[in-house]
Amino acid sequence: MTSNFFTALLRKFVPAIVAIVVVLWLYKYYGAMEYTLKNLAEFFRLIYEHLILVIISMAAAITVGVTLGVIMTRKGLEGISPVIMAVVNVWQSVPSLGVIALAYGILPLLGLSGIGIVPALIALFLHAVAPIVRNTFAGIESVSSDVIESATGMGMTKKQILFDIEIPNAMPVIMGGIRTSTAIIVGTAPLAFLIGGGGLGFWIFTGIALVDMGIMFAGAVPVALIAMLFDYFLALLEKVVVSKGIQADQYA
Amino acid sequence: MGTMLSFQEVTKIYPGAEHVKAINELSFDLEDGEICTMVGPSGCGKSTAMKMTNRLIPMTSGKILIDGQNIDRLNTIELRRGIGYVIQNIGLFPNMTIGENIAIIPKMKGWDEGRIKERVDTLLDIVNLPPEEYIDRYPRELSGGQQQRIGVARGMAIDPPVMLMDEPFGAIDPINREHLQNEFLKIQSKLKKTIVFVTHDIDEAIKMGDKVCLLKEGKLVQFASPEKMLTEPANDFVRDFVGGDRTLKRLNLLTIRTATRPDPPVVLETEKSAIAGTIMTETGEKHLITVDSEGRLTGYIDHEALKKDGETIEQIKCETEAFLPDTSSLKDGLSEIFTHDLEFLIVVDDSKRVIGTLHTDDIKKILRG
Repeated sequence: MTSNFFTALLRKFVPAIVAIVVVLWLYKYYGAMEYTLKNLAEFFRLIYEHLILVIISMAAAITVGVTLGVIMTRKGLEGISPVIMAVVNVWQSVPSLGVIALAYGILPLLGLSGIGIVPALIALFLHAVAPIVRNTFAGIESVSSDVIESATGMGMTKKQILFDIEIPNAMPVIMGGIRTSTAIIVGTAPLAFLIGGGGLGFWIFTGIALVDMGIMFAGAVPVALIAMLFDYFLALLEKVVVSKGIQADQYA
Repeated sequence: MGTMLSFQEVTKIYPGAEHVKAINELSFDLEDGEICTMVGPSGCGKSTAMKMTNRLIPMTSGKILIDGQNIDRLNTIELRRGIGYVIQNIGLFPNMTIGENIAIIPKMKGWDEGRIKERVDTLLDIVNLPPEEYIDRYPRELSGGQQQRIGVARGMAIDPPVMLMDEPFGAIDPINREHLQNEFLKIQSKLKKTIVFVTHDIDEAIKMGDKVCLLKEGKLVQFASPEKMLTEPANDFVRDFVGGDRTLKRLNLLTIRTATRPDPPVVLETEKSAIAGTIMTETGEKHLITVDSEGRLTGYIDHEALKKDGETIEQIKCETEAFLPDTSSLKDGLSEIFTHDLEFLIVVDDSKRVIGTLHTDDIKKILRG
């Protein structure tokens, strides 16, 4: 048990530590650290914008994604599930850059501005909502029909069954979808800069344009760290929101 | 006592299959505290009939009354909360602990914490799972048999007068199943619920039921006590369904008491040993049962024992295991007689006082009716 625990720990953390050390060394080597310290105020502003992009689009994707997923499992609404699925899948299958470009191109046709943070948020949200919809649907569908039958037979209302039985039991699968979506959003967020959405993409693209590895790394490394931080945070959250009765046994 | 559950010409026709009556004018009355086992070949409608009781399946026509109240007049949710429901695959909620599973309906009914806690403890005690050990565990940590007991405990959470059980022991291996059945009958003898119990196993139906409701293609074929179904099958279908060994099945239903021969040849063990010999020659008995001053079984005397030296009967008597309480089934009694090649079995009461003897002749007489 203990030895298993340590192997698991090693397997989990050693590659991460190696990666971090290498990246930090490059960060310093290319002068990204120096650039960041020189432009500290701008650095914090970009971080702030970036986090806003990620958090808001994430919150929207979770809210809308879970809601759509739940709607698709409701009796009598099965007919619309293929439609919902088709729409969200299309947005996910378009490459990230394409989604940003489409938002830029399509939103003006709807009378909205194609430039700024709002189109960036819409693009990120649309790009990332599919895994949450898909997993919420699959998670709820996979709750055993015996469990639902006994809940119904015992006199639980539809709402109680949804919130006390279906969603909690689908939670591990839903959380899987949320982690996938987060990875997509965090990975796509730098592109928001291209349509004026701000964020750390500014330094990355500036670095590329100027062929200045320092500026590029000053933007790319924080982006990577944010991605890791979010994943870590979601793993913790999973421990809290998923009942011990259905959590996968770790290290077992 | 009175009618607790009443089916009155209940009919179910599924939309899209209008020419078939899934349940065809089913009528029966179930007394308070009785178990009605619903049995029949697959597709006979036994589960459908049961599920109409809590409106999991709406009926097409007819009436179902619970304690005189037409279930159609009740709110579906309230109706269901007032009926215990236990299904084959148990359907415990995996995300909740054992305690939370049992507490779910009491919680919805707005019971206060203390009362809920007390009730959960009581129920766990009833199903023989120590509360302190099980209350905080999750369903997946329990064996199938233990889960089924929790299922039964959950079904009884608010002490409903009526319970529906859909093949509750169907997914459990034969050994544990028999154990659970016996345990359940013991619980039922104390709690006296009115229970509709669906099973596909005629032996289980006969064992568990106070009444057996045999269905075929949605129609009631016979509704009778297990004893009556075995002795007076309504037609060939019933005769076939209960099986060619129905006479032997009756052995399971009848208790030893029904065939006990009274006035056993007993002798007080404090008497002189010579007396035993005298009694045996006078009565022609080959065995005498020895008892203490309270009338409790202590052993027996046969011709071999008489040859032994000893002043009192107590000193020469032989020990015996050939006895059973009068509440055991005739099947167990007969099995003892055959296994140990006995002339007769000693019948005792709960405190081991000798009541009489059991002979194969008497069993034969009973089975012949």
